[in-house]
Amino acid sequence: MARAIGLINANYFTKADPAFTLGRPLASLPVLGRYRMIDFALSNMANCCIRNVGVILPTNYRSIADHLGAGKEWSLDRKNGGLFLLPGSAFGTARRTGRFLIKDLLDNKAFLERSRTPYVVVSSASFIYNMSYTELVDAHEASGADVTMVTAKASADYDDMCGVVAEDGRVTGLTSTVKLGDTAFMDLFVIGREFLLELLENYREVEHLDLFVALHDDLKDDNVRTYEYNGYSAAVLNGEQYFATNMALLDPNVQDKLFPADRPIITKTHDTPPAKYGSGCHVANAMVSSGDRIHGTVSTSVLGRNVIVEEGASVVNSIILQGVTIAKGAKVENAIIDRNLTIAAGTELRGTQDDIFIQQR
Amino acid sequence: MLLAGGQGKRLMALTANIAKPAVSFGGKYRIIDFVLSNCANSAINTVGILTQYRPYLLHSYVGTGEAWNLDERGGGAAILPPYQTQEGASWYEGTADAIYRNIEFLEEQDAEYVLILSGDQLYRMDYADMLRAHKEAGADLTVSVMEVPWEEAPRFGIMTTDDEDNITEFNEKPAEPNSNLASMGIYIFNNDLLLKALRAEKEDPNTTMDFGGDIIPKLLAQGKKLLAYRFAGYWRDVGTVASYHETALELLGDNPEFDLYQDDFPIMSNTSVQPPHYVGPNASIDDALISNGCKVFGKVKHSILSDGVYVGESATVVDSVLLPGATVEDGAQVIHAILGEGATVKAGVTFGSADPNEEIALVGDDVVVGKE
Repeated sequence: MARAIGLINANYFTKADPAFTLGRPLASLPVLGRYRMIDFALSNMANCCIRNVGVILPTNYRSIADHLGAGKEWSLDRKNGGLFLLPGSAFGTARRTGRFLIKDLLDNKAFLERSRTPYVVVSSASFIYNMSYTELVDAHEASGADVTMVTAKASADYDDMCGVVAEDGRVTGLTSTVKLGDTAFMDLFVIGREFLLELLENYREVEHLDLFVALHDDLKDDNVRTYEYNGYSAAVLNGEQYFATNMALLDPNVQDKLFPADRPIITKTHDTPPAKYGSGCHVANAMVSSGDRIHGTVSTSVLGRNVIVEEGASVVNSIILQGVTIAKGAKVENAIIDRNLTIAAGTELRGTQDDIFIQQR
Repeated sequence: MLLAGGQGKRLMALTANIAKPAVSFGGKYRIIDFVLSNCANSAINTVGILTQYRPYLLHSYVGTGEAWNLDERGGGAAILPPYQTQEGASWYEGTADAIYRNIEFLEEQDAEYVLILSGDQLYRMDYADMLRAHKEAGADLTVSVMEVPWEEAPRFGIMTTDDEDNITEFNEKPAEPNSNLASMGIYIFNNDLLLKALRAEKEDPNTTMDFGGDIIPKLLAQGKKLLAYRFAGYWRDVGTVASYHETALELLGDNPEFDLYQDDFPIMSNTSVQPPHYVGPNASIDDALISNGCKVFGKVKHSILSDGVYVGESATVVDSVLLPGATVEDGAQVIHAILGEGATVKAGVTFGSADPNEEIALVGDDVVVGKE
C-alpha cells in the first residue's frame, strides 16, 4: 500500500507585489520554458509513486484547473485516488502571507480522512527542485517525527521566507524572515495523516492562522524535525527570484540537477512540433521550447512554446512566455513578455539588469 | 484498418529493431503519427492496427491510442497481430490476408464503412472528405489516387478513370500507362462488400491476397462501382535510406511543402517528457529542427535533431538526421548522415562525407562510431 498522499497548497500568497505572477496564481505561473510552477511539486509526488494528490485551489483557479485536467500526465487519472481539486477559501487574499492556512486544511478534512496512508506530503507550488520524496518519507519514518520540515540554506536575505531554528534536527523556533546562510523552510513537509487531523481539530479556534504560526507555540510538545535538502532548489516568491530562476536554467549543471533522466519533471503536453531555426538566425545561451520559430537573434534568454522571433528581431537577457511573436526588427532586452503578445515590428522594449521590464497582457 | 506490419527492409539499419511505422521521423514524431493524426483529425475513433514485424516498440508506442484521442468509450486503438487458431499458426501474407484474418474484428465493430490505410506514409488528409465523396457517388469502393509524373507512372498501380472519376481500369506497374493516377493504397470499402470480397478471395487457389493485385481487379470485373478520389498535396512513402534522408530534410527551409506548424490539423505524437532544449554560448544553428531535451554546443546546419540529442563543443552536424538520444561528442563531425537512436560518434571522429556522390552514411541504434 502507498505510504503517503500528497497535498499541494495553491491557495498561497507571497509578501511580494503579485504583479510578477502576471495575474495568475503562483502555481500556474509559466516557468523554465514549458513548465508551470506546480509541475515541480506534482512531478516529485508522481515520481515517488504518490497517486492520490489534493490541490487546494485559489479562487482564480481557471488556469490551474486547465493545466491539471484529470491529472493524466502525472498518472493521477486513477480508479481509486487520483487528483482532487479542493476548494480554498477567499479568506486571506488581502493578507499575502498565507502558506498553509489552517482553514483551508480544515475545510478539506474529508480528503485526509478518506485516505488510509500513514503520511501526507504537503507542499506549496512556490519552489523549484527535483527531490526524491521517497527518501524524504523514509527519513520522516526513520526519525519518528510528528512533522518533518524540509529546509535549505538561504542563498540571500529574504523577508518572505520562513526560517527554522533547530537543535540536533529538532525544531525549536520559527522566524518570519531569513538571512543569508540561515536554515530556510522550503514550504514542504511530511506529517502523520492522523496527527495532522488531530492538530487541525486542536487549531479549529485559530483557523485563520498559518499552520506553522499555530504550531510555533507547541514545538516543545510536538516532535518537529528538519530534513536538510542539499540539492538544487530555487524559491520563486517575488519577481527577482522568478527572473533569476529562469536564467539559472541556462547553466547546464542546473539543467542536469533539475532534469535527471530517472525523475522527469512532468507537464501538460501539447502537440507542438520541434523548434525551427531559420537560415541566418543567431541563437546562443538559450532555452528554446517546442513550436518556437527563430529567424532573428536570441541570446541569454528562455523562450516558452510557440514563440516566433522574426528576421532582424532580437531577444536578449529576457523571458518570453508561450505564443509571443517578436516581429521584424523588434528588440527586447532585460524583459519578461507575457503570453500571446505581439511585439510590433521595430519596437524596442528594454529594462535594465536591475530593473526588469515586464510587459503584461 | 491500419496496415503496420511491414518491415521496411530497404531502410536497412533504421528498421533493424523496429517496424517501419515506428521509425522516428521529423524530430519528435514516428512515421505512424501522420496516419494516426489523420484519423484523429478526421474524427475516426476506432482504428485496428495490424502489426507483424518487430512489434514491441510499435505496440508500446501506440498503447491505448490516447495520444491520438483514440482512448474513447466505444472506440479505441485495437492492436491486431497475427494469432494462432485451431487450424494452426501462420503469418499475415499480403495486405488483404491481414484484413481477412481480422474479419471478426470488423464484424464486431459493425461499421458501415471501412477505411484501409498504410502505416508508413507521410501526408495530411481529412478522410471525412474522402468518405463524403464515396457516399455521394454511391461507390462500392473508393481508392485515393494522386497524379504522378508520367515518366514515373510505370512504378505505381495506375487507375484509369472516366469523366466522373469512375475507375475503368487498373494496371499494376504498367510499362505503357494510359493514365498517371497512382493508387495511394488508401481504400474506403462498404463493409459488407469488403467482407464478401475477402471471403471469396480466400477461396481462389491462385490468390496472393493483395488488394491491388487481386481484390480490385475482381471487383472491377464484377462491374462494381469503383471511385477514384483525387488527392493533391504532400505525400511520401519513405522506402529507402536515401528517400528517408531526403524527405526528412524537406521539412527544413522557409516554406517546406509539409507544414508541421499547421495548427488546425496538428500532427499528434506520444511524446516523451523532456525539458526544452538548450543552445550553448558557442553554438551556431542554421536551418534546423531541434526537439526537446537536446543540448547543442557545436554547429548544426541543415539538419534535424530529435528528442534528447547531444552535440558537443566544436562538433559539426551538417545535412544530417539525428534520431532520439544520439550523441555527437566534442569536435566530431557528422555530415550527410543518419544516426540511429542512441548512437554515438566519438570525440574528433568524422562520420559521413560531404561528397554528394557518396551514399548517406547510416549507423544503427546504440552503435558507437570511433574508439571507446
